[in-house]
Amino acid sequence: MERLGLRVQESVSQALILFTYAAVAAWMRFGQRYRIQGLRRAREEFVAQVGRERGPLLICANHLTLIDSLVMQWALAPGWRFARRRCLFAWNLPDKRNLSARWWWRVIGYLGKCIPVVRQGTPEQARQIIDKVAWLLTRGQSVMIFPEGGRSRVGRVDIKNVTYGVGRILQAVPGTRVLCVFLRGGGQKAYSDYPTRGETFVVRLKRITPATVSVGMRGARDLAMQIVGQLSEMETQYFDDAGVDR
Amino acid sequence: MRATTGAGAGATALQKERRMDSAAAFEKVISIIKPFVKNIEAFKVPTGATRIIEDLGVNSARLVDIILAFEDEFGIAVDDESADRVRTLGDAVQMILQKTAPAH
Repeated sequence: MERLGLRVQESVSQALILFTYAAVAAWMRFGQRYRIQGLRRAREEFVAQVGRERGPLLICANHLTLIDSLVMQWALAPGWRFARRRCLFAWNLPDKRNLSARWWWRVIGYLGKCIPVVRQGTPEQARQIIDKVAWLLTRGQSVMIFPEGGRSRVGRVDIKNVTYGVGRILQAVPGTRVLCVFLRGGGQKAYSDYPTRGETFVVRLKRITPATVSVGMRGARDLAMQIVGQLSEMETQYFDDAGVDR
Repeated sequence: MRATTGAGAGATALQKERRMDSAAAFEKVISIIKPFVKNIEAFKVPTGATRIIEDLGVNSARLVDIILAFEDEFGIAVDDESADRVRTLGDAVQMILQKTAPAH
């Protein structure tokens, strides 16, 4: 039944993708005056790294604001590309409490292929989410996930608070491509609900192939730590390039 | 009467040994969990019924680190199902005792 629900959500989302994308992008571009530095280059990079291949794709990103997934989807591809390749428009897993706060967030969330999750949930709830994500991936879909499990409270990639669900997902669907995406606004000092109006974002991509000889929870932890380690490296590089004192 | 007493004494010794194992395991569990505890107040008087996430404020994601630390400390292998059943300190001790018990 849940899988049927996901299929329906995917179809509705796909039918309205151009409208949804245009509305959200217009809000970001003109309402909030957000900019992506090197937007065209970022989109070319996305195509170069994963765009032409088929198969499951896990987009793993750092997390500082409630709308990171929206900004990232905007940065990675134009709406028409998502319309042509439905599998590229990534599912994502927002905190249920955040998504429930406003009725229009729920609408955007549904159309934006969100699967609300309960943070700090029971093992059973965590397992159900992993099963759903694994099922989507086996169907060749893309899923965006924040391995830190929430917005980083320290304002940097928080390698001490990694959730290992991402590793369990990779164990469940071997062969899943992993794309690490680092996104940060130039004025972003710490985590927040929204980026500051007029913010300019930098986005960086790197495809990696996490691997481990361990199995079970230990293997999941290894895989997750490799991904978060990569995000942390990208963040270090970002600050080095920006000449900012970390 | 004497036989009964002997058997009782034997059982008592076994129970005592078991209790000591349990107590030792409990102490080790406490020391492993300590770095992850956020609710220090609840950790002052831990019991077998103390819930790891709800009472001690341990982040659920850190439970995996704790379980892996159990594996390293006690030389055991914990599957996902067993790990999911660990809700309290007592559950953790019980699981460790089961997995370290000699096979018959």
